[in-house]
Amino acid sequence: MSGRPGLDGPADEDEPERLYVITRGRSGPGGETPFDLVTLIVSRAEPKATMQPEHAAILRMCASPLSVAEISAYLRLPTSVVTVLLADLLADGLIEARAAVPPADFPDRALLEAVIHGLQRL
Amino acid sequence: MLGWLLPSAVLVSAMVATATVVAAGARADVLWCGLAGTVAVAAVAVEAGRRGRALTVQREQHAQREEELHRRLVRQDASTTALAKKDLPAAVARLRHTGSVDNALRAHESRDPMLSPEYRAARDDVLYQVLRTIDNEEAMREASQRAFVNIARRVQAIIHRQAQDLREMEDRHGNDPAVFDDLLRLDHGNALTGRLADSIAVLGGARPGRQWSRPVALYSVLRGGMSRILEYQRVDLHPVSEVAVIGPAVEPLIHAVAELLDNATRYSPPHTHVHLSASEVQTGMAIEIEDGGLGLSEEGRLRAERTLKLAQGEFDLNDLGETPRLGLAVVGRLCRAYGFQISLRPSAYGGVRAVLIVPQELITTAPATGRAHGIGSFSGPRPLPANPPRPKAGSRPWGATSAHASVAGPSFGTSPWAGTGPARSGPIRPNATRPGPMNDDVPVVTERTANGLPQRRRHRPPLGRAGVPGPGRAPQPAPPPAQQPDRHPDRHPAAQAKEAKEPVQPGIWLEAFLEGVNGQPPSTGSAGQTNEETAGKGEQ
Repeated sequence: MSGRPGLDGPADEDEPERLYVITRGRSGPGGETPFDLVTLIVSRAEPKATMQPEHAAILRMCASPLSVAEISAYLRLPTSVVTVLLADLLADGLIEARAAVPPADFPDRALLEAVIHGLQRL
Repeated sequence: MLGWLLPSAVLVSAMVATATVVAAGARADVLWCGLAGTVAVAAVAVEAGRRGRALTVQREQHAQREEELHRRLVRQDASTTALAKKDLPAAVARLRHTGSVDNALRAHESRDPMLSPEYRAARDDVLYQVLRTIDNEEAMREASQRAFVNIARRVQAIIHRQAQDLREMEDRHGNDPAVFDDLLRLDHGNALTGRLADSIAVLGGARPGRQWSRPVALYSVLRGGMSRILEYQRVDLHPVSEVAVIGPAVEPLIHAVAELLDNATRYSPPHTHVHLSASEVQTGMAIEIEDGGLGLSEEGRLRAERTLKLAQGEFDLNDLGETPRLGLAVVGRLCRAYGFQISLRPSAYGGVRAVLIVPQELITTAPATGRAHGIGSFSGPRPLPANPPRPKAGSRPWGATSAHASVAGPSFGTSPWAGTGPARSGPIRPNATRPGPMNDDVPVVTERTANGLPQRRRHRPPLGRAGVPGPGRAPQPAPPPAQQPDRHPDRHPAAQAKEAKEPVQPGIWLEAFLEGVNGQPPSTGSAGQTNEETAGKGEQ
C-alpha cells in the first residue's frame, strides 16, 4: 500500500453514494433481527455478477466465517447497514448465521489449566 | 417669348375689320376701345407667358429636388435596414466579445457621406444607446449570477459539511436502529437540498459543487446520482463494467445523472421502476435511464430537446419556465461544459429513454479509490475459481470463539481495504461503533493496537505449529487499490484459496488459548481477552 495516490486531504475522503442508497432506504432489518455484533456469518453461495457489490463482498469475505462486527469493519459500513445487507442475504438463503458460543459453554478455566499443565509436563 | 403677339394681332385685325364695318362716326371709338383691349390682352399674354416660364423652371427644380430626396430616403432606408439587420447584431456581438462599448461603436459607426449629419448622428446615438443598455444589463446579469452562485456555494459548503457530519453520526449510531433511521432520513433530505444548490450554481454558470481529485468508480458515480433524488428506491441499478470516471468529471456526471433520474422518477407512475444502466460504446460510456412513464409526445420531446439545446448554447434564465425544464436545462449546461451528449427517445418500456454519453477521455480504467470501487473490484463480475474455496461445514472451525474468525481477518482485510482510499480519521470512526478499532492505514501493517487482528500472526511461529502459514502470509502483496480484477484473474483465486485454507485449521483456537494461558501480554490480543471482550459485547 505504499502508493495511495490521490489522497490529498479530507475533502476527498467520502464517497459519492450515501448509506441509504446502499440499504435502499432501510435502516435495519425488519422485525426480530437474528444478528448481533458477534453473530458469525458464513456464506452458502458464490457471489454473482448481478449482485450489489456489498452483498457480493460479504459473500466473498464470509467464505470463512466472520462476525458481524468484522464485516462491518471491513466494509467500513455501520452495523445497521451490514445487518440490512445480511438480512437480505439470509432471506435469499445465501448465508448462514450462527450465534457465537456463549462463554458459559467453555470448559472450566481450572480444568483447562490442569490439562495444559499436564500437556506441558509431557 | 412672343406668345403675346398672337392674341394681340388677332385683336388688332378684329379691331380693323370692325372699324371698316361700322359707321364713320363710331370708328374712332371702336379704334380706341380696340386699342385698349389689345394692350390689355398683350399685357395679360406677356404676364401669362412669364408665369408659364417660371412654372416650368420651378417644376424642373422640384423634380430635381424630389429625385435627390428620394435618393437620400433610399440610402436612409438602406442604412436603417443595415443597422437593424447587420450593424446592430455585429456591434452587440463585438460588445460581447470585447466587452467595450466604445470599441463596438467605433467599428460600426456610419461612414456614408451621402447621409445627412443629423441622420448619422441620430443613428450612431441609437447604436450607442442600445449597446450601453446591453452592456449595463449584461453587467447586472453577471452581478446577479455571481451573487446567486455565491449563495449556492455557501449552501453547498454547509450541505457538504452537514453530509460529513451525518456520515460520522451514522457511524457513531450505527447500532441504534431508531437513531440510524432518523439520520438516514436527514441525510437524504440533505442530499436533495445539495442537489438544488448544485443546480443553482450550474445555472449561474459555475461548476457544480465539489471537486474530486481522484477517479471514482462509475458504479459509485451512478449510486451517487441515485443518492440525490427523492425516490431512489424506484431506481434499478444494473451492473456496470468496472471503469472509473476521472476526478474533474465526477461531480458533473453525478449531478447530470441525478437530474435525469429525477425527471424519470417524477414523470412515471409511482409503482414503476426506473432502469439505470451503463454500457461501453465506441465514443465512451453510455448511461441509459429508462422509465415506464407516459412517455413524451413528439411535441414534448422536441420541446425537451429544445431546452437541452438552448441550455447548451447561449442561455437565458428567462427561458427556464417551470421545474421540469429546470432539470433538463441543468443537464444541457453540464453537457455543454463537459462534452457529454444527451438524447431523449421513446423507451421500449413505454416511457422515456435518456442516453447520456460520457466521452472516452473522461473515462479511465486506472485504479479508482473509493469504497464502492474497492468493494466492486473485490466482488464484481469476475471469473470465480473453478473450485471455489468453501469452508467445510463439518469442520466447524469457528466453533470456539469469534477470535478464530479474526485469524482470517488479515487476508480478507487487505483486499477490501486496499480499495478504500483515504484513511478515516479517529473521530469519524469512534471505537464505540467499531468493535475492532480500525486504524485505516492498516493493510501492510502487521501490528495493530488493542485487539487488532493482524497482530495475532506474530505469535504463531513461536508456537511451532506446522500447518500455519503465518509468515508466508505476511508478505502477501496487498493488491493495489481497486485492482481491476478482470485483468488479474490469476491473483484473486489464489488469494482466495489461501483465504479459504486459513480458517479450516482445526484447533487453531487452542493455539490462541495457549497464548493466553502462557501469559502473553493482553495487549497483544490473547484469546482469552478477545473472547471475554466479544462475549461481553454480545451480551450487551
